[in-house]
Amino acid sequence: MSRDLRRTCLRGIGAALGLAAGLASPCFGGVAGDAWSRFDRFLATFDPAGHYVREPIEKQIPALVFKGFLRQWTDALLTEDQHVGFRNKDFRFLQMQNLLEAELHYFLAPNIEITNINHFLYDGTYNWQWSEGLFAPRVSETARAYHDSERIVRELYVSYRSHTFDLALGKQQVAWGKMDGQFIDIVNAMDRRESVQLETSDYEYRRLPTWMANFTYFFGKNSIQLLYIPNFEQDRLPPQGSPWYPPSVPPPDSVVRAELAGNVPPSGDIVLDRQKPKMSDFGDNEGGVRVDFSMEPVTWGLIYFNGWDDNATNYIVDRVAENGVPRLVVQPRYKRLNHFGVTGDYATSFPDVPMIGPLPAVLRVEALYTLDVPFSDFAGRAAAELGDLNSGVVERDTLRAAVALELALPANTTVLFQPSLYYTFGYRKTLGLGFGGAYLDEWNLVPVFYVDRPFLFTSDRLRVNFTGYPILGGPRSDFQGIKTKLIASYTFSQFIVGKLIYTAYSGGKDIDLYGQYGKWDNIGWELSYEF
Amino acid sequence: MSSDRILASIVLCLAIVLPAGPAAGGEGARVAKTWRTMDEVSAAEKEVLDFRSETPRDPKFPYLPAERYPFEPPYTAEEIGIRSAEFIHISRWSHVIYDAFGMLTGGGYLNQGAGVALVHYLPEPGLAGELYQIAPGDVSTRMSFYYVFPPEIDGAQDLYILHRTDDKRTTKIDYFTYAPSLRRVRRQPEPRRGERFPNNVQSFDDIIGRGPWEFAWRFIGADVLYATLRFPNTRATITLANAARELREVPTSSLKMMGDEYPYYRQDGGVDCWVLEAKTRAEWLPGYPITKILYWLDRHSFYPLRIEQYDQKEELQVVEVRIARQENPALGELGYAALDTVYYDPKLDMTSYSMHDAHTVREWTDADRQVVFSPDFMRRGWLIQPLKSQALVRSPSEFYLRPLLYPEKFPKDRKIVLTPEVEARIAAQEAAGHVVFETQTTVSAEASP
Repeated sequence: MSRDLRRTCLRGIGAALGLAAGLASPCFGGVAGDAWSRFDRFLATFDPAGHYVREPIEKQIPALVFKGFLRQWTDALLTEDQHVGFRNKDFRFLQMQNLLEAELHYFLAPNIEITNINHFLYDGTYNWQWSEGLFAPRVSETARAYHDSERIVRELYVSYRSHTFDLALGKQQVAWGKMDGQFIDIVNAMDRRESVQLETSDYEYRRLPTWMANFTYFFGKNSIQLLYIPNFEQDRLPPQGSPWYPPSVPPPDSVVRAELAGNVPPSGDIVLDRQKPKMSDFGDNEGGVRVDFSMEPVTWGLIYFNGWDDNATNYIVDRVAENGVPRLVVQPRYKRLNHFGVTGDYATSFPDVPMIGPLPAVLRVEALYTLDVPFSDFAGRAAAELGDLNSGVVERDTLRAAVALELALPANTTVLFQPSLYYTFGYRKTLGLGFGGAYLDEWNLVPVFYVDRPFLFTSDRLRVNFTGYPILGGPRSDFQGIKTKLIASYTFSQFIVGKLIYTAYSGGKDIDLYGQYGKWDNIGWELSYEF
Repeated sequence: MSSDRILASIVLCLAIVLPAGPAAGGEGARVAKTWRTMDEVSAAEKEVLDFRSETPRDPKFPYLPAERYPFEPPYTAEEIGIRSAEFIHISRWSHVIYDAFGMLTGGGYLNQGAGVALVHYLPEPGLAGELYQIAPGDVSTRMSFYYVFPPEIDGAQDLYILHRTDDKRTTKIDYFTYAPSLRRVRRQPEPRRGERFPNNVQSFDDIIGRGPWEFAWRFIGADVLYATLRFPNTRATITLANAARELREVPTSSLKMMGDEYPYYRQDGGVDCWVLEAKTRAEWLPGYPITKILYWLDRHSFYPLRIEQYDQKEELQVVEVRIARQENPALGELGYAALDTVYYDPKLDMTSYSMHDAHTVREWTDADRQVVFSPDFMRRGWLIQPLKSQALVRSPSEFYLRPLLYPEKFPKDRKIVLTPEVEARIAAQEAAGHVVFETQTTVSAEASP
């Protein structure tokens, strides 16, 4: 059933792409070609928000630059309703997100600017389909819509620029690093509602900006950046009852729903309030430094960041007996971490490659070493349950690093191979998850393969790329599954771009990172209008 | 499935039944034969030319003539070829321009972009500076490009660090990009030489130039050009910006091939040109997609007004035509720069343009030189010299005409292969005076002047 559905969907994608490509081809003449031509010419000037919103506003306020976009993402599962792990997967749509961005820049002087970026998000997946398994808005309304200023006002800062330095004060996001994926990109926390389907291209909209002072001093082709961050933001993981809440994590959906309804008392550990760093406490603030050097043909940089782990760890603080049944008392706490990172890139060209000729290439490297990362330790927890009270947490150093080789092949084809390593020092089998380490293992190796090319017969309007993310690991697992992603994007006009996205998860066991999502194969479409 | 077959049958029948009209000559047909082979050129005209193929070589750079640039007449074909390399798409002096660019397919798909280019030319202005002050392998130009349109890429930036090359040091570009959507500066692989930009006809080499020593030069003949880049009759005026940031409406018919100040126009408005062939030297450019290039160079400054590139089958692949004007009077005849350039690929029936508006000669300060043209500067998102322009094309119907192909000129040296559909589209364009998109109706009401 699900396999037939998948085939039908893939055939549909192929037919849609073929039709779009054929109609766009200059070779396709005749009546259909003329109709497509009229449509093309209509879209070429179709920019209603630009004409009726942006231009009048900018005309009234010359010092203001106004722009934005409207984007619709929808992902639909290709598998039938069923119970998977602890989840009642009785829904078809993973997301039906509509995001409006309004971006404003007001120039007080040529080098003094106020920037404000606002997001208005509504996800119809909780309202536009019937499902018992999707109840996340009862846990967090943010899963359905941005409803408070913290999420709507994404960025708001004032910046001053001179040749020698930049100073930006306010709520903002900072991206460190050169690689695809997160290696030294650690300054801002992330909204990870899409879990394993969060891609590098989504970071811009999923990072959680924080209030900070951001100072950069430029000397020659080099620079040093200093960050002072009084406002801590933690990662937002998929809430219970959301489409991407991990199926391998207990308790079952039915129990959570009953607890939320107050029908059954909370079970398991007694969880105290989270101990969160305070903005008003100077000792709780974060800081970082980044130095960049340009030594052509090499550019490289170093970072140091002293900040909180973006995810709290449950520390066991007590053990109590209720009705003769022992229960652990845990408190989620954030641990301050020290991160050391390096990044660099180098360009070269391989001469006289057979069939290709000269082959330009770029090599990128990036690594982050983090000291004393807290890991939940199931051995410690078991001892605590038996009366040997301890925190149930151990600390380990972690390393995450990647090397990427990007090649420029003929016909504007790009190939990228990026092996990424995640390593937990001092590993033992009873460890849970920790920042920067492997996923329930000592090491993970993720050799990402990516190829992208436009198609000339569509005047480069059709672009297709494929990415494979296999996860190898050891010593617990050999293979934790593979995510494959096929994206066909089509440029309808200079303002409108559409995408069809097929994502599949296969291999691995039910507790593995990708393995647990084996029934989450999905197809999505994305339509974006920018003005 | 059956409806697909019906549609395909209709298309096939129409393609067979509808006549493919002969290409109209346009302006070219209104003028008598303008071109002559070298055999037909008079001895008096040939006095400024030197037909030797072997000349004394420069002791330091054996791929250059011993005579110092910019050379004295009589000129060999090689020397004229090197002189023409003075006028690549990006002028050889420090300056700022607003670059409006775009492409149009035969079916009417329009895609445009715009950005501000900041160019820092390191040696003394002109090709001589690069030839004699920059060692092979060293950096000659740093160019930063800040995109302002379309909205999707507003704020994106490119940094090109251009190197002088020779047969051993072949790295031509260090290339970095900054994407606001990623907030990261990324080093990119060096663009493949001769490969088109995605979504455009022109290649990186068309923009940053080719080393003239990478080609073998010979004279083909002489010609008089009366038109290069042509505006449609749906676009009577264009708004141009100047260095003082003033915007002024200019009739498109008043734009001359070499600008208003050019003193050498013929009485009938034509420009006398030498036509040269540059054949790709495989030892310098192995696997290069272009086998030869034909240049129409004005006879006085050797400015390339028309450039034709031929593919591996020696068939016409790209036609480039330009309107130039004097942008840097301090350099005299070396101060011409492209105001507007159109590229046409007859096989794809795709036309691109690049308009260099608001050209401003600029001496960068020491602070600018140290900071602005480095990869790290891009993440500041700071456009240090904003320029305004209204040079973008408003709609597909106002797009530039496909350049004239002149199939009758130099037939021994030019092979032009067109599909009947492209021939018909060109004929319809020449008859209407603007690009005609619909093959089933003569002229759309929207596109009528």
